[in-house]
Amino acid sequence: MSGTAAALRAERVKFTTLPSQWATPLVALALTVGVTAAVNAAYGTKDHTPGEDPTGGIYYGLNFGHVAVACIGILLIGQEFNTRMIGGSLTAVPRRGRLYGAKLALGAGLGLLLGLASTAGSFLTVGATVGLDPSTPGLTRSFLAGVLYHPMLVLLCLGLTAMLGNLTAALGLLTPMLFLGTTLLSAIPGVREAGQFLPDRAGLYAMRTQPEPGVHYGHWTGLLIMAAWAALAVCGGLRALRRYEVSGG
Amino acid sequence: MIEIQGLTKEYDDRRAVDDLSFEVRPGVVTGFLGPNGAGKSTTMRLVLGLDRPTAGRALVGGRPYTELADPLRQVGALLDAQALHGGRTAHGHLRWLAASNGLPARRVDEVLAQVGLTEAAGRRIRKFSLGMRQRLGVAAALLGDPPVLMLDEPVNGLDPEGIRWIRTLLRELAAEGRAVLVSSHLMTEMSLTADHLVVIGRGRLLADAATSEFIDRHGRTRVRVRAVDPTKLAALLRGTGHGLDATEVDGGAWEVSGAEPERIAALAAANGVVLYEIAVQQDSLEDAFMRMTADSVEYRAEATA
Repeated sequence: MSGTAAALRAERVKFTTLPSQWATPLVALALTVGVTAAVNAAYGTKDHTPGEDPTGGIYYGLNFGHVAVACIGILLIGQEFNTRMIGGSLTAVPRRGRLYGAKLALGAGLGLLLGLASTAGSFLTVGATVGLDPSTPGLTRSFLAGVLYHPMLVLLCLGLTAMLGNLTAALGLLTPMLFLGTTLLSAIPGVREAGQFLPDRAGLYAMRTQPEPGVHYGHWTGLLIMAAWAALAVCGGLRALRRYEVSGG
Repeated sequence: MIEIQGLTKEYDDRRAVDDLSFEVRPGVVTGFLGPNGAGKSTTMRLVLGLDRPTAGRALVGGRPYTELADPLRQVGALLDAQALHGGRTAHGHLRWLAASNGLPARRVDEVLAQVGLTEAAGRRIRKFSLGMRQRLGVAAALLGDPPVLMLDEPVNGLDPEGIRWIRTLLRELAAEGRAVLVSSHLMTEMSLTADHLVVIGRGRLLADAATSEFIDRHGRTRVRVRAVDPTKLAALLRGTGHGLDATEVDGGAWEVSGAEPERIAALAAANGVVLYEIAVQQDSLEDAFMRMTADSVEYRAEATA
């Protein structure tokens, strides 16, 4: 068996043998679809104005679920730093690019599956409760962006955690920064201009069907901005992991 | 076989490993000795490519570790028995290791049986004692049936039965023709386990010799004697002209250096001193080690100050 395939298999076994890891995507799915379903069932039909962007309702749950999506990426490599198990992983797979690549591939795969399940679940839920007009312009793009947002967020967080080399730091920094920070930043008028280029803002904007005043890029570009951030983080993580020393020296 | 050539590792403020060269040969257990902070663990991490050397290199079977395909089939290592994820079961931990090097799944059950963890295979590692974690670490090292083994303080946390088990295991592995490098700070244990010793202090090589040779060279040999009439013995040993260096140790017993037991017995007989105890006392490995590393013990001044 080739080393790359073996490394990927090992990452899959690591994931399935650790309940805290395989439970995270399930939590993400439950939060995203569950909150969307609950909110749309309760308020969707009462609080509905014709012509409004339906994606606000579809992706309502994602505001809660994507914290768990980020955790998938953080945990995939962060738990190894935290337990010092990274030493064992690098002993088993000493080519660092290969080990990292296997983690990225697993993260992207998980993210894609989760993105499909979550996004399809959210669309179906809204269709069943409030009703969804399939001819709404941009709805296909919104679905695609919703799916791709998941693997990109996982990769972004995996890369940043590899750069930090520490689970606690990654959880403490990334979750509030990505999900409270960017929302708060967007509320401050001066910072709002720059804040819209942050990865989660750009990725979420790609899911909207209607343009938003003050946003300087299109929906597709939003997806590209997020992909660029993810690519940057992935490269930064590779660089950090290549330099990483188990002794911490 | 492990070949270490001019290996050096510098951190900001100090040299943890300083131009170290030695070989770990197949068929023998090589003990890796040194005071705490001497650089033993750092050397092992450098061999595995976990840290990068400042200079020099370490080869396993003629190649750097990081270039080995399926390295677990070449080297079995136990460096830090605590570096595990507590949420996995012992079986789960070994399964991902086996998968990473394309090892058959049956090896997992085989090594679990070999280290006596079959019963505990399905339990989460966080419930394991330190001794059980050490056994799991040994199981992981044996997983790929490697010709080279490298274990850092494997007897830590083991009970007497566990210590005896690992001693027997290491000797068996060496007898099968494997190269075994094992570090420990337990000298008595080392003298029972290791055929060969590599001693380092402050990152430098202090000795590279067979265990018996090391003790002969650095330890002292004395003859302990006791006589029916202690006064006559004292007078004989204190007397000049025999070239003996004798000290009274306790209750009339003397330790004599500088003469063979035959000569002391003959001397006593010639002077009418009746001996009822005469025994050769050799320094233990611990004594020999202490004498040789006395100068290299880091932090000694700070510890006693």
